[in-house]
Amino acid sequence: MTTPTTMDNAPANEKLYLGPLATRLKGMGMTLGVLCLGAAVVWGLMLGDDMRRFMHSYLLAFTYFLSFALGGLFFVVMLHLTSSTALVVQRRLAEILTAAFPMLFVLSLGIIIPLWVGNKSLYVWSDPDAVRGDHVLEAKAGYLNAPFFAIRMLIYFTVWMVLSRYFLKRSVEQDTSGDPALSARMKKVAGPAMILYALSTAWAGFDLLMSLTPHWFSTIWGVYFFAGCAISVYCLLAIMSFALQKSGRVTKSITVEHYHDDGKMANAFTLFWAYICFSQFMLIWVANIPEETTFFRPRMFTEWKWISIAVIVLHFCVPFVGMMSRHVKRNPPLLALWCMYMLGVHLFDLYWIVMPAFSPEKIVIHPIDFLCVAGVGGLFLFGALSVAGSARLIPVRDPKLRTSLHFINQ
Amino acid sequence: MADTKTTDAPEEVFYGYVAEYDSPGALVRAAEVVRDAGFKKWDSHSPFPIHGIDAAMGIRPTILPILIFGGGITGTALAVLMQWWMNAWAWQWVSSGKPFFSLPQQIPIAFECTVLLAGFTAFFGMWGLNKLPQAWHPLFKSDRFLRHSTNGYFISVEAADKKFDRAATQKLLRDTGATGVEEIRYVTSPEMRAVPRPIMGFILLTSVLALVPFAFLAKWRNSHSAEPHFHIIPDMDFQVKRRAQSTSPVFSDDREIRKPVAGTIARGELKDDDLFYRGLDNGQWSTRFPPQVELNEDTLERGRERFTIYCTPCHGEAAEGNGMVHQRAMAVNAAATGWVQPSKLTDAGFVRQPHGQIFNTITNGIRTMPAYGPQIPEKDRWAIIFYLRAIQRSRNASIDDVPADKRPTLK
Repeated sequence: MTTPTTMDNAPANEKLYLGPLATRLKGMGMTLGVLCLGAAVVWGLMLGDDMRRFMHSYLLAFTYFLSFALGGLFFVVMLHLTSSTALVVQRRLAEILTAAFPMLFVLSLGIIIPLWVGNKSLYVWSDPDAVRGDHVLEAKAGYLNAPFFAIRMLIYFTVWMVLSRYFLKRSVEQDTSGDPALSARMKKVAGPAMILYALSTAWAGFDLLMSLTPHWFSTIWGVYFFAGCAISVYCLLAIMSFALQKSGRVTKSITVEHYHDDGKMANAFTLFWAYICFSQFMLIWVANIPEETTFFRPRMFTEWKWISIAVIVLHFCVPFVGMMSRHVKRNPPLLALWCMYMLGVHLFDLYWIVMPAFSPEKIVIHPIDFLCVAGVGGLFLFGALSVAGSARLIPVRDPKLRTSLHFINQ
Repeated sequence: MADTKTTDAPEEVFYGYVAEYDSPGALVRAAEVVRDAGFKKWDSHSPFPIHGIDAAMGIRPTILPILIFGGGITGTALAVLMQWWMNAWAWQWVSSGKPFFSLPQQIPIAFECTVLLAGFTAFFGMWGLNKLPQAWHPLFKSDRFLRHSTNGYFISVEAADKKFDRAATQKLLRDTGATGVEEIRYVTSPEMRAVPRPIMGFILLTSVLALVPFAFLAKWRNSHSAEPHFHIIPDMDFQVKRRAQSTSPVFSDDREIRKPVAGTIARGELKDDDLFYRGLDNGQWSTRFPPQVELNEDTLERGRERFTIYCTPCHGEAAEGNGMVHQRAMAVNAAATGWVQPSKLTDAGFVRQPHGQIFNTITNGIRTMPAYGPQIPEKDRWAIIFYLRAIQRSRNASIDDVPADKRPTLK
């Protein structure tokens, strides 16, 4: 096909570029990232605990922003796979999130390199003295060791970077060529891509977070980690859309119907998260077998139990009821507020996963936690906006965009 | 229904107008006109849902979501109440050491009941709010209107509406671009309004039949019976198979179990090595191990493992007759009812016993000790003996047993 069959479907007089704002935001992100991470490293060194405090905070911040990009990749692949139309207008925003994978890979070196050079402060299994004589850890040593961990991280990031690059490149290409064959090709790739995505995300969850408690195992853990990714992306789409429209961009393309859909999915995945979270807990609680309870023991019988209760209430009960009404979801400022709240409790959920590994008895919170989140967040912003300066904010010539623009919730 | 004009004679009723349009777009535009004219008792009809028709008709958002929310909350509350009543009140039963009233184990049921009642409320609430089921409607009188489920788009306005005026409403509908406006009339009488006899009969019959199972339940609940059990699945209750140690009508000796044919031995049962299988050496208890058992570290390790599994519960890890079973027996004062302590195998008498005699004890049991032959293969029995010899040696060891170069470490 030589002539493009699809026309530029974006509404007239729409501001479609981030333009110089991208450069400004990137500069801010880089500055924030370097300053905060630098401060966190210095502070961590001053504590003199072999960087234990810093490493846990860093892992928390890293997995938090990794879940944003993973959510974005899920959203992009899912749209292609299902040929869904409603949220095509927001697909580029998710693609911008996935553009952060190269930066996240650089950030992952912050976990891999200390392991490689023999820092034992993050994962118990990386300490030969702890492994020796421990039957379970000795048996798992073939999988849980620094070189293989690094190799696996490399595989995951290769999968994510290749997939995100593939979809982003073709999507941007379609903006100018308008070739519908590109959509067909992406749809073909989306099937295997979804399988690769599911496996790599689940295993990344096992390796990064579950192995903090190496004696313990939960086969549903990957899905649990994924639920957080999925909540994040729908919340981010609503927040990003709201912020862009506030700045006068894409004001006509993204309508209240799209916000409504984002809200519905965020609310649904909140229930999904609770369902998975409880499924994991209940089987372990009912069976009450020592080897399965090591994860929940500190979280149920020490100070951490208050955090556990807070996670249930704040991550499920409050937002599930709060975001349920269609009036909330059809009110963009209110929805954006709820979505920011969800991103906050998502961080809280990861805090509940990571920090008991650092301090099994006492609730701990330290300025380094916030410095790491701000620092990794700044660098994530820098990474994500690497393409946003030149690319349009909506896929203007996607064959399904017209349907998406006129999408109505009934 | 305070219809004062009701008489026995058939009566013609003017229902209203139905206007037809040729496209969904025309229907939506016409609906906006009718809405703005202030009509209340009117409706639009199309073969499929049309986006934006709700707003065009001025329909207020339905209260169904609130009803569903209420239904869901009711389901949660009922489920928790039910489980509290069952588990913590009416039938207290310890399950897995959990408390009688324990929220985690109630959540799955509460979740299901929430979904169930929310679903029921959505389904039946939708029926109720739409005044369904409705077996007949005056609009069905119009042949043209039957196309509302294939390719026709209609607006119907009832004569009962306050704004309704024969001439003005007809003109309004024509001006909206209707391809045709039809008057709907129908004849009615008390007989016609009554539910038809066969349908009424069917409803009554099913209502009565539905009570029968409950009547039986009530009867069974309050009566005794000398009759045998009622077998719902007799194939499972009376299976066509023979059980061990039962009789058989087939053979003359009435036995179910048959002896092997004379002069034959089952596969793998030819145990013709007296030393290995019975611990006998020329008719005496053997004092040597059979050649099949290699006396090396692997066998010792195998023996330790088997000894730990089969012997330590009674004899203890050090074979001193104080295993967990014995300690438990002491704790519950079983000695008063004749509990005998398991043998202390490190005593001189057992040290002197030939290997073959211990093998025989393991195989066939002795006094209160049961036979372990059926559970432990011969080779493992020999490995256990080998390990037991090591324990005996260690329990009765002198400094001479320790290699000279290791002796300083004992100090």
